[in-house]
Amino acid sequence: MVEFSWVVRSPLEHALVAGPYGASGEAGVSLTEIRNFDLIQVMARRGKATEVATAAKARLGVAAPETPKAVQTSDAALIWSGPDQFLVLSKGGKHAINQLSQAFASSASLSDQSHARALISISGAKARAVLAKLSSIDLHPDAFPVGAAAATSMDHTSVTLWRGDDGLNGQAVFNVLVFATFAESLWHTMLDSAAEYGVAISHSEEF
Amino acid sequence: MRIVCPFCGERELGEFTYLGDAKPQRPAADAGEDAVYDYVYLRDNIAGVMSEHWYHGGGCRSWLKITRNTLTHEISAVEPAAGAGAAKVGA
Repeated sequence: MVEFSWVVRSPLEHALVAGPYGASGEAGVSLTEIRNFDLIQVMARRGKATEVATAAKARLGVAAPETPKAVQTSDAALIWSGPDQFLVLSKGGKHAINQLSQAFASSASLSDQSHARALISISGAKARAVLAKLSSIDLHPDAFPVGAAAATSMDHTSVTLWRGDDGLNGQAVFNVLVFATFAESLWHTMLDSAAEYGVAISHSEEF
Repeated sequence: MRIVCPFCGERELGEFTYLGDAKPQRPAADAGEDAVYDYVYLRDNIAGVMSEHWYHGGGCRSWLKITRNTLTHEISAVEPAAGAGAAKVGA
């Protein structure tokens, strides 16, 4: 049998060049790729939505979102991704597939998406202006407050978009999960969109 | 044109794909060749209000049943198609 040695690499490893980009001066936008996370898709089996909600509450401490919302716990985010389904985003393996599968064994189908998506965090004074060029979703704070989520498309690419807790400076933080093989394409589109405001590019292991 | 997805809310047309007439029902296994031919190939070309299947592929990936006026694009009803969103659809 052939022995494989898997090397975990970011889908944006080549495209992402940390540092300033676009217009000079103070960056209006920060684009940060979050690396090394656990991401589990939980889909309720037919007629089992109530059981899934109970199981989520027991295992993760919060009810699973039933509408387009993202719910934050002390060590995970539950992000709505469609009717009777949500994503569990966490770090450090505590809520990885093997840890969660037992809790949802009788009620939901789980699928490990940890290495299937790239996670991009967009913040800064011009974050909403950047996303307005890519998304038809109204991201005004009145329409898209902290904890709002959407399964939508950006530049013809399916994404899961949600607004996380505001940054330390009080500015909105938007998170985008995109399929790994589309990540580079969307990344370049985001850079094009953000260049006029000046961009601070980085990657991080922390949410 | 915008469609109000029962799961996601109002979204632009680009997130949706059109399948077609939602009226035809699959005939019984012993219904005969004519009934199957009818079901697979024959469609009314309705100028007015019709029931259609749409797919929210750019969003929540649910199938929807939409009542739309083909002359004005006015949408009078949107509901999840059978099988979409296990909790919302009783069937």
